[in-house]
Amino acid sequence: MQIIYEREIKNNIKKLDDLWNNDSTFIFLPDHSGINNKWLKKSIEKIPNKYCKDHFALLTSGSTGQPKIVIGNKERSEKLAFLLHEVQFSDPVKATILALPLSYCYAFVNQWLWARVHERSLMFTEGLKYPDRLKEVLLNADNAMLCLIGAQVPLMERYYSNNDFPGVIRVHFAGGKFPQRQIEIVEKIFPNAKIFNNYGCAEAMPRLTLRKLEESDDFSNIGKPLPGIEMKTGSKGEILFRSPFRAIGFIDKEGSRFLSDDEWIPSGDFGEEVSDGYWKLKGRSNEVFKRYGEKISLPQLLDTVNKQWNGQAVFYNVKDKNGEDAHVLVLSPQPAKEDIRRLLQMFRKKHTRPHWPLRIEGVSQMPLLSNGKIDNLKIKLITDKIIFWEQIG
Amino acid sequence: MTNVEKLKQLVIDVFLLDDNEFSLEMMRDDIETWDSLGIVSMAVGIQEVFGYHFTPEEAVAIRGVQDIIKVLEAKGISFDE
Repeated sequence: MQIIYEREIKNNIKKLDDLWNNDSTFIFLPDHSGINNKWLKKSIEKIPNKYCKDHFALLTSGSTGQPKIVIGNKERSEKLAFLLHEVQFSDPVKATILALPLSYCYAFVNQWLWARVHERSLMFTEGLKYPDRLKEVLLNADNAMLCLIGAQVPLMERYYSNNDFPGVIRVHFAGGKFPQRQIEIVEKIFPNAKIFNNYGCAEAMPRLTLRKLEESDDFSNIGKPLPGIEMKTGSKGEILFRSPFRAIGFIDKEGSRFLSDDEWIPSGDFGEEVSDGYWKLKGRSNEVFKRYGEKISLPQLLDTVNKQWNGQAVFYNVKDKNGEDAHVLVLSPQPAKEDIRRLLQMFRKKHTRPHWPLRIEGVSQMPLLSNGKIDNLKIKLITDKIIFWEQIG
Repeated sequence: MTNVEKLKQLVIDVFLLDDNEFSLEMMRDDIETWDSLGIVSMAVGIQEVFGYHFTPEEAVAIRGVQDIIKVLEAKGISFDE
């Protein structure tokens, strides 16, 4: 089984095409995955022989930062790329601009594989690591599609608030919270783009639902399941799905697990169908917990924070002195005293005490994963955080 | 900082009040955040700031800021400005 890293295909995308054309299964990894070779070797040994042909594997870290190898089937993923073309109205799109790591499942299927099966161009950039280079590509875009995650919007605002890129006609968001509150910025920067909220997970390889921006003004509305995909809410409120495009199985530190066609697979989020087939997210499994008998939803609290705070904000889980699950709010950049006062007033008005964070901390910069998401594991370990407020008791 | 100022800051911090909301006549019923967990939090805060540990009975019997002052004055902590 061949292992290939992103750096190997940056100047030679044909290498990835060759691997796709080849029968053998391959593993496509980011340059800085943080996984050790021993773990990788052991993981590969766990892949049954029947999946050593016609499949591919990607590494996902998700919001927990724990590595997980997800195995997909080439034919299934090609079918999804065709379906995405239809439901995302991608026919007028001539090219797709890469602003995320290509080994990220979302970019891999929605951009590289889509471009491959529809014979469109894929334009490599190193994303917002080099904003000036990305800007040049965006300025020269002609009927292009861009796939982003919500966390990139504040950076785009910082770099491109005086620019617009009319050549981008599709902007997709996935891989985290949809930036509903900052959507005016997105619309300003990409005045001709149709904007979509995509929802899925690596196990879905990766897509489950889709919503056009104009269909709702609620960031947690993830739209309707794609044709062929079934979704339901499990007994604990978790989203379960069955999909003809799903991953075949995955390997993580717990071991390997291969999925069956009739199996309902958890997406890792809580959610429910709300009306007319639309689904609404209620948070990730580790983002909803009980504290002093009250159900705490970190996404809901984050919504409160975002109403008062224009920077980045994230919660991480801790135990309080009594051993109860609790949460700490981290803000970036460092807040002013007045920001903290306003936030606390907002918490007081909107939530009872168990919902209040144990502490409010500030960091000058959020640590990011290679896919651009905030690294929830690292954020706990940063030592030079400033504590701006702490609950007494 | 006087003891009144210390108490004011503590009440503001525990119940997330705005500065101008605080008064020495403030009653528990005036503040929606003075809930059961707030009582515990207030008791811990009193111990941290004034070094006195409320008994459970004292903590529960407190109806307002003046009650806190009375308990603390009875333990020799002065609030005369």
